[in-house]
Amino acid sequence: MDEKTESGRSKAQFVADVLNKTLYTLVTNCSKADGVRNYFDVGVIAYGGSDVGSGFGGALSGGIIHSIGAISEKPLRVEERAKKVDDGAGGIIEQKTKFPIWFDPTSSGGTPMRAALTKTLEVVADWCDAHRASYPPTVLHVTDGQSTDGGPEEVAGGLHQISTDDGSCLLFNLHVTAGDGREIVFPVSDSTLADEYSRMLFRISSPLPGHLAKFAGDKGYSLTEGSRGFIFNGDPKCIVDFFEIGTRPKMVADR
Amino acid sequence: MQQRLPLPLALTVPKVEGQRNEDSFQCSRKGAYALSDGASVSFDSASWSRILVRRFAQRPAFTTEWLSEAIADFSKLYDRETLPWMQQAAFDKGSFASLLGVQVLDQGRLIQVLAIGDSLAVLVDGDRIKASFPYTVASQFDQRPQLLCTNPAENKFLEEIDYNYEISADWTFRGIENPGLLCVTDALGQWLLSWSNPERSAISILRSLRTPKAFSRFVQAERSSGRMKRDDTTLLAVW
Repeated sequence: MDEKTESGRSKAQFVADVLNKTLYTLVTNCSKADGVRNYFDVGVIAYGGSDVGSGFGGALSGGIIHSIGAISEKPLRVEERAKKVDDGAGGIIEQKTKFPIWFDPTSSGGTPMRAALTKTLEVVADWCDAHRASYPPTVLHVTDGQSTDGGPEEVAGGLHQISTDDGSCLLFNLHVTAGDGREIVFPVSDSTLADEYSRMLFRISSPLPGHLAKFAGDKGYSLTEGSRGFIFNGDPKCIVDFFEIGTRPKMVADR
Repeated sequence: MQQRLPLPLALTVPKVEGQRNEDSFQCSRKGAYALSDGASVSFDSASWSRILVRRFAQRPAFTTEWLSEAIADFSKLYDRETLPWMQQAAFDKGSFASLLGVQVLDQGRLIQVLAIGDSLAVLVDGDRIKASFPYTVASQFDQRPQLLCTNPAENKFLEEIDYNYEISADWTFRGIENPGLLCVTDALGQWLLSWSNPERSAISILRSLRTPKAFSRFVQAERSSGRMKRDDTTLLAVW
């Protein structure tokens, strides 16, 4: 993940930024004047080199899954940033805004994908046992390379079989690149995929359920029945959209 | 001499018993009735909806300036700089609410309706619906409504609509034998427009509800039957 994107940031930096923004958005959507509502639990697993473990640092590093309330209270740090906002009278003003950071970019050689998905399977199975009535977990898997510890297909199959009373666990895959490869977004078959690696990622990806397919369609993606939650050679925009779509709750109430 | 009208019957039930009801209503004896449904997924929609209805009941003339003043009133409730990051972010994102405002003028010769969002005004004749606004069929409640927001950037949609046509309707009680006027929030509005039992009209059911307990029992029963969405539910009725 050391390769640079067009903006000069490394892929690792970009993914860390998107993850921070994703958690920021999730927490914001759960925040009301009287506190943060624990509408979600979020888990993060990081893998690289030969290591697989919690992707959280600091006070959250002791666990993989945390409530959105705990996550809101324990970022690594809160930075102050300036952003331009509408002043309500036709003008734009610069406003100081607090922005939490949970993830700093890291990258290392090695892609123990099988071990990472095995860890995910264990964590997700435990969570489902404890939350039978909840919406099933959605696993958003981001990778930039081929597995270096064996094929993950069998483990991914196990993930698909885990369920709550509301349905089966979903696994979406995002392959990121800084290069010029043609991006393939939410394909419906593997016929346009060039190699066995990308076809494998297609096979282990869940079809997008209706509410997510609609949301992806609203963002301008062309989807058909059976489109999979899979992006290959995703550019920075795809990374942002992948997380926005993947973390879209089933019920968005009235706002 | 200014007209002094009876206040409407007002009945409301929260989404979950014991939780804060984010619907607000306010009525004046000058014939201005306001109803607002605060969106659950936003920072402080209950306060925002309360500000909107109070302002409309006092000054029922919705303009850009009117809205800016309402936003300024809301901003005074919080010291943004001292909020923890997550509350500051939610405050900045904004609080959302519908606004349904009705003015009954000249003893009902003119009824002006303003509707932004998915709260519904209904003109009735006896047990029949004569007109409804802004929606006329139940499926319209499945759309994502555009709501008034404390973040001015979220109100840009107002710049692209014609206030006189797209968010306003003029009705009259003249020529209606047994006139009535209802203002309802979306769960009850969708229930009302989807009602299809030929043996008893939805209006006659609502007309029979005269006390908070009766309204609460009715809402609970319709929720249990699956005919009504679980949401804060409010009825203002001029029978």
